[in-house]
Amino acid sequence: MAINRSKIIDDMSKIKIIGNDEGLVPAFNVFITQLPAAFWNSFADRLTNMVQPELLEPAEYLLVNAAHECGYHTGYGIITSEEWNAVVQPMVEKVPEDILYGAYAILTAWGWGKAEIVELIPGKKKVVRAYDYYESDVVKYGKSGKKSAYMLRGVCAAFMDLAYGGQYDSTGKTGLHTFKCEQVKGIECGDPYGEFVVTKA
Amino acid sequence: MARFIETELTLDHQYDPKTSRHYLNNQLSVLHCHHYATLYSQLADDVEFVDGKKLLADVAEDTFYSVLQEYFDANSIVTVNDKISIAEQYFAATGLGQMNVVYLGHESAEVELVHSHVDEGWIKKWGKRQAPVNFITQGYIAALVSLVNNKSTKNYQVIEEESIVSGAKRSLFKAVLQ
Repeated sequence: MAINRSKIIDDMSKIKIIGNDEGLVPAFNVFITQLPAAFWNSFADRLTNMVQPELLEPAEYLLVNAAHECGYHTGYGIITSEEWNAVVQPMVEKVPEDILYGAYAILTAWGWGKAEIVELIPGKKKVVRAYDYYESDVVKYGKSGKKSAYMLRGVCAAFMDLAYGGQYDSTGKTGLHTFKCEQVKGIECGDPYGEFVVTKA
Repeated sequence: MARFIETELTLDHQYDPKTSRHYLNNQLSVLHCHHYATLYSQLADDVEFVDGKKLLADVAEDTFYSVLQEYFDANSIVTVNDKISIAEQYFAATGLGQMNVVYLGHESAEVELVHSHVDEGWIKKWGKRQAPVNFITQGYIAALVSLVNNKSTKNYQVIEEESIVSGAKRSLFKAVLQ
């Protein structure tokens, strides 16, 4: 059985997340929050528009890195979870490629972006397109000259780390940051979709 | 036998398959983990070219002011007790932690966290540290105190006096009218 993306999205998008008696959501070996997208967008957009031009790149790096680490650890938690084993694992035939395709179905189901892999050279390169993603909401009219999908950039790189960066390392000292991601198109910049190119770091 | 009914938070979760977006009470919402929240907090704490701590607290205040106000208006939440109860429940439901408002007045307020996503996530990721890191909750509390007192945002200064991340049993925040 090959990865059935629409079934994974349909099943995993129905999961209800709510805090326990302690107001926490321990799941997938991490603590989770379910916050308004506007919160994350506002911080990233204000920060990157407040800094001097020469400091934009370091600021963007920090935002991408937050997602890179998040994607690495949460991604690992997801692909080793009971939910994954129940829904996705039975469809996995080719490792790690099918796991990667499955992970993008989860990413879509969770609302990070309606994204899928359009090109994959195992161990070397991945191209992802996102046809809808909340980070593009920073622009409501017109086109921005600044690509703003920092979270997707980080997560796209992290998923390649998990697939081809060696054994998962919970300390993040190895395995993490073996790949980097560049956003080459953005809905917020007037493109019909966001496009992300991941290559070896 | 008659009984008092406590106002309960209602969460309406909708998923739009066309856009793959999730809505919680009509607010576009996303799941993120403690690595993301703590790295944003660390970024706010470390960044030198802007006041990152204030920026993160301001963003939280603006966001949650809007979310809570919209909920209060849509559900006819008007009393002080009900507004506080809903805000505590929303904080917990979204995974931010367990919040108890100790007292809330016009000039000041005191709020404690018995559990905290940011603090406990920080400890899980990096261990304890002396300085507070929960700028997100500072903003949340500023929003709540302003809403209860029918004020706009940026009227209250919130300081974290005790922190779970530093080893305290609870985090303690004080809000003061500026």
